[in-house]
Amino acid sequence: MKQRRKIRKQKAHIAFVLNGEPCEVAFAPHKTLLEVLREDLNLTGTKHGCELGECGTCAVLLDGKPVLSCLVLGLDAEGREVTTVEGMQLPEGRLHPLQETFADLGAAQCGYCTPGFLLTALELLAKNPKPTREEIAQALSGNLCRCTGYIKIYEAVELAAAHMRGEKAEVAEEVVYGLKS
Amino acid sequence: MIPSAVAEIAGFCMQVTRTRDPPKSGRITATKPYPVHLMKNGSSKHLEVVGKPFRKVDASAKVTGQTKFADDIVLPRMLYCKILRSHVPHALIRKIDTSKAVAMPGVVAVITGKSLPIPYGILPVSQDEHALCLDKVRMIGDPVAAVAAIDEDAAFEAMNAIEVEYDPLPVISSIQDALRSPGSAHMDDNPSRTGGPQLAGENKEAWRIHGYGDHGNVHKMVALEFGDVEEGFKQADLIREDVFFYEGNTHLPMEQHAAVAQVDGDGKLCLWSSTQTPHYVHRALAKVLEMPASRIRVIATPNGGGFGGKSDPFPHEMIVSKLALLTGRPVKVTLTREEVFYCHRGRHPVLMWVKTGAKKDGAITAMHFRSFLDGGAYGSYGVASTYYTGALQTVTYKIPNYKFEGVRVFTNKPPCGPKRGHGTPQPRYALEVHLDKIAEQLRLDPVAIRKNHLVEPYSLTSNYLRVGSMGLAACIDKVVTASDFKNKFRNLPYGKGIGLACASYLSGAGLPIYWNHMPHSGVQLRLDRQGGVCVMCGSIDIGQGSDSVLAYIIAEVLGIDPFDIRVLTADTDLTPVDLGSYSSRVTLMTGNAALEAAERARDLLIRAVSEKMNIPATRLSLSGGRLFDVENPETSISFAEAVQIAEARFGTIGTVGSYTPPPSAGKYKGAGVGPSPAYSYDAAVAEVEVDPRTGIVRVERIWIAHDIGRAINPALTLGQVEGSVYMGLGEALMEEMSYRTNRNVVHKFPSLLEYKSPTTLEMCDVKTFLIEDPDPNGPFGAKEVGQGPLLPVPPAIANAVYDAVQVRIDEVPITPDKVLSAIQKRDEKQEDEGESANGGGTGITRGVEEPHRYGPKSVPEVDWPEPVRVKPPWDGGTGKEILREAVHARE
Amino acid sequence: MRNFQHFNPASLAQATTTLSSKPDAWVIAGGIDLLGEMKNGIIQPGTLVNLKTLPNLDYIKFSESDGLRIGAMATLAKIEAHPDIRKHFTVLSQAAHSVATPQIRNVGTLGGNLCQRPRCWYYRNPAFHCLKKGGKECFSVSGENKYNAILGGGPVFIVHPSDCAPALISLGAEVTVAGPRGKRSMPLEKFFILPTENPLRENRLQAGEVVTEVHVPPFHDAGSSSSAHRSVYLKVKERGAWDFALASAAVSMETNAGMCRSVRVVLGGVAPIPWRCPQAEKTCMGKQIDEALAAEAGKASLAQAVPLGKNDYKVEMAANLIKRALLMCSASSASPR
Repeated sequence: MKQRRKIRKQKAHIAFVLNGEPCEVAFAPHKTLLEVLREDLNLTGTKHGCELGECGTCAVLLDGKPVLSCLVLGLDAEGREVTTVEGMQLPEGRLHPLQETFADLGAAQCGYCTPGFLLTALELLAKNPKPTREEIAQALSGNLCRCTGYIKIYEAVELAAAHMRGEKAEVAEEVVYGLKS
Repeated sequence: MIPSAVAEIAGFCMQVTRTRDPPKSGRITATKPYPVHLMKNGSSKHLEVVGKPFRKVDASAKVTGQTKFADDIVLPRMLYCKILRSHVPHALIRKIDTSKAVAMPGVVAVITGKSLPIPYGILPVSQDEHALCLDKVRMIGDPVAAVAAIDEDAAFEAMNAIEVEYDPLPVISSIQDALRSPGSAHMDDNPSRTGGPQLAGENKEAWRIHGYGDHGNVHKMVALEFGDVEEGFKQADLIREDVFFYEGNTHLPMEQHAAVAQVDGDGKLCLWSSTQTPHYVHRALAKVLEMPASRIRVIATPNGGGFGGKSDPFPHEMIVSKLALLTGRPVKVTLTREEVFYCHRGRHPVLMWVKTGAKKDGAITAMHFRSFLDGGAYGSYGVASTYYTGALQTVTYKIPNYKFEGVRVFTNKPPCGPKRGHGTPQPRYALEVHLDKIAEQLRLDPVAIRKNHLVEPYSLTSNYLRVGSMGLAACIDKVVTASDFKNKFRNLPYGKGIGLACASYLSGAGLPIYWNHMPHSGVQLRLDRQGGVCVMCGSIDIGQGSDSVLAYIIAEVLGIDPFDIRVLTADTDLTPVDLGSYSSRVTLMTGNAALEAAERARDLLIRAVSEKMNIPATRLSLSGGRLFDVENPETSISFAEAVQIAEARFGTIGTVGSYTPPPSAGKYKGAGVGPSPAYSYDAAVAEVEVDPRTGIVRVERIWIAHDIGRAINPALTLGQVEGSVYMGLGEALMEEMSYRTNRNVVHKFPSLLEYKSPTTLEMCDVKTFLIEDPDPNGPFGAKEVGQGPLLPVPPAIANAVYDAVQVRIDEVPITPDKVLSAIQKRDEKQEDEGESANGGGTGITRGVEEPHRYGPKSVPEVDWPEPVRVKPPWDGGTGKEILREAVHARE
Repeated sequence: MRNFQHFNPASLAQATTTLSSKPDAWVIAGGIDLLGEMKNGIIQPGTLVNLKTLPNLDYIKFSESDGLRIGAMATLAKIEAHPDIRKHFTVLSQAAHSVATPQIRNVGTLGGNLCQRPRCWYYRNPAFHCLKKGGKECFSVSGENKYNAILGGGPVFIVHPSDCAPALISLGAEVTVAGPRGKRSMPLEKFFILPTENPLRENRLQAGEVVTEVHVPPFHDAGSSSSAHRSVYLKVKERGAWDFALASAAVSMETNAGMCRSVRVVLGGVAPIPWRCPQAEKTCMGKQIDEALAAEAGKASLAQAVPLGKNDYKVEMAANLIKRALLMCSASSASPR
């Protein structure tokens, strides 16, 4: 096993674009992006479920792509664009269509995995405005949810996608009331 | 109220709602006419909030990342805590040396068991845990010492610098080992077979994990007999025995447990914790810290998933509290995912034996059920879990004579406890597969054998559980029709199968953990003169929507928008006691308490307005944010004006509501587990595809019908059903809390990668029906939904696998290797006609060819205690034990 | 995770010099596997040498004449989605797609995928000082070995976790590595070493060396109308996402008029290295592949398998995978190339 050298702690200092705004932050260089966001920038909307890349809870967008912030060093954000759930809201505090449908359909139960799902879905809809259910399942296969069984999440992504395409889609009755026969 | 008046109110309400603004969650456009609900006082009400798919009151906070979970709390000068845990499964602690850790930079405090010597536990009968182990560790992951330091890195380094010396003790790793270990009544001559290290000398106490319990490593044995099972078996046309095993699994909430403790200038302690039971944490803290409860405040933060895993008071909660008291600074702990696996309290591994007598038409004449629970290293809820494995067999199909024997043992593994369905998914799996086998043997349709022998609504079972509304027949009809079960069953091509199972669950435990006569749930309501309404309740939202349910019910009664209500919950300083988010109790119990508080507030408003405006109170009604004269709807005042009139008349308007379940019918020892104000029912059909070459089972679709009584919010109800189906699917196919067989019962790998839980790619399609038959004990007729829908899923899948490939998998999870092994054995047998016909089965009814199976072959021999005998209600029983009745009669 | 120094080299040369001069320096590419190992306390680097800021290491180039060249820093997401790879090297795009999850594939690199460390439970648990970490015992032999090797094991019974490696070996890829003494290339198959050679390592990288490129040569008969090249990657895992292979099979085959003209069969998840199956290849060469022949090829490849007790299932699974992959590659219904 390799010998660890004694190192004096020195903060790293980076600049990057965070939720569309310039941001500078100093932090211990071994911190992950997850830790920098939560601990040094106080953006606690990004959650953690394992910190080993095994749950998808900490997903954020890095240059528009979903990544696991627990397996990205904070240093790697230098000069790049990071989007967290706090950056999803539209002007005047309006919710993003995905946030609206997740809230309306109960796709967020405990809400802990929700930010990771929202951001991953956001990227999916950016590159594929009309995904099939299979495509949604594939895109979200790296996000674990223990509450919903994913069904309400699929339905919320589908409905939001329709709204984002400008369609006047409505919730099917069986989605919120169950089947009749 | 006379029918014509009802009609008038109905017409009036329809008129009002048409003019009303759409609710704030108005994006939901699917709407249905408002149903009429008959209230307890005989009046009727058009439901404007209840029954509608509103957004949750906390939904917007959750989708924007604003919800503050425990680990999101940061306080000035906060210290970080790390807990050193045992890496050996069973040992005496010889020495703990913290000197190096104390001397490290950034370290503020280091504590060991000496600082927290008082034991605690969730049940009064199992106060067997210590915040930090005193002299002995009982499992890998047992907490031994804790550090508070200025940052997480410093705490981590210091934790690793603590030196502990252990004297190893023999290791108990299975039910069989625990039953046989020295000191047990069932020990055999060869203790070394338990696999633990040999000790010098024969110190029997060394084998014992705890110094209490029935004997040896037997924590609890129970035996109950209702009616006479031997007599019942004599009346049977068929007697069948089966053996099943249900592997343990864990909750796996996405949020790891976390807690923050702070001591204010007056020395009062405040603990924020991700807990489902703030009230019990409050109790345990007062005991362990030796502080008056009045100086401790527990705030349960929104739980990032619970499923039962955050229902015990935990060491880390005691530890940060103690460290905050010692250092005078806030202290936070966030468990790692690995530590969450050690906290566990998940599903007990249960070995089961069931013997049933049945008539030719499938009517059960008697059932004898035995369960063997692997409890892990501590008591937790285990005594209750043990009873639960025998309690709810009786509430679905009529069982006139019923005997239950159960035993829970201690092993050197993380403790088991309550997971969604607490103690009942295991016997339900056994019962529903067993019933399928009986049906096949009797050449009966699996639908008929169930539907023809259902427990009557509003009846007492042989073990004195009071069944109220009972919608199981309707549930069965829905799923059988929708799935085309009758045409598909036994008719699908090889590799495809369909299976049916039913289940039932409690809507809250009828008795509290600490027996007393106080309410289980309390609600306070405060109305202010500007129209604001604040509801306060000790209940904690774990994602199921309990905060929302409070708001919906109060909004319904007061005729206001649920999103105008401030909901304040789960704070022992500010909210009245609610026992916690467990046993599916919250909607029914806090719902009833909220209903009472709201009706009292409504009555105050109406009385004051009636006096002031000189309109009879019976003519006044609250709706759409206004108070109306029913006969003269244009006469109305705003809700705020009504409050002002009431406040002028009565003073500050605050009301309380509380709920205590009805007394249970059973009075025998052990009758405390099983009673509930109402039982939910479920039927599920699973359609599966089994690849006979790989053994891989793919569930394509599950149809499920849930008897909810009344859905307070159907969208949230569906979410609970779908989530339960998901969790049941995971348990049925892959989830296992399993341990390395050599290397001293290390958990195989305590990680989210190796603990397989279903991703989007394993989840099946779910088709859900809600059956609404209001139960008189539920608020607006509502029953539970959080747990029941999990129960039928594993047996429905097991029955479908049999339909697909004609082998029985009598062990959960149904992994590919088990399916493949059973198929291979069957195929080998078919090649070799000389072999006996039985598939290595379980002592089944003789002379009938049994399908091949995978599963346990036998259960251990145990000297069961004399059962508590109780006469069933239809046999003149009073709910008391026979002995007690006899003694009483002589007096 | 413990502290370390983070170094952004200005050039590849600077990177390799730093790596070879500091004994506790580790290279970080995507970081998926490395950060996991650091968090689990398996390794504690003093310095991380970051390759992400180096220019021109994440390319994917394809031409009919030169074949395919992929820079070591190309992400798995880029590889799986690349149209030329999907069209001509199906096995590789399928293998890349089968790795972990979408988020991980957005960060994980080809170089990292080839050089990732084993997933054996004992190796990954810091409480076990196993042979792979310089200890005395491979605990899997007498312990939990459900995921361990059935071929090529001993004294260490890890399985190589890479999905891209079997795929690339089936395509006859070669790998280029750069070190303080310059660049060298070798067939990717030769890059991996058995534990008998060195139980502590899985490949031939020497101090200071990093993988820079993988090259897949062009097919020699490209364009001939009667010939076809097909390749496929089949992977069995317990869940659709995240999981490593219980067993996988990469097959790349050229057929001419329905006859197998050349074929490479490589198994993943069953041996400490991507496991080439010459028996299967020999069985198929020059023949028309049918069900029986494919089954025979699968069976022959596993003849030497030695299960450890809890991984017997892998024998039949791997044989079946070979059979299915061979049949898929030879199926006449599929469109050529």
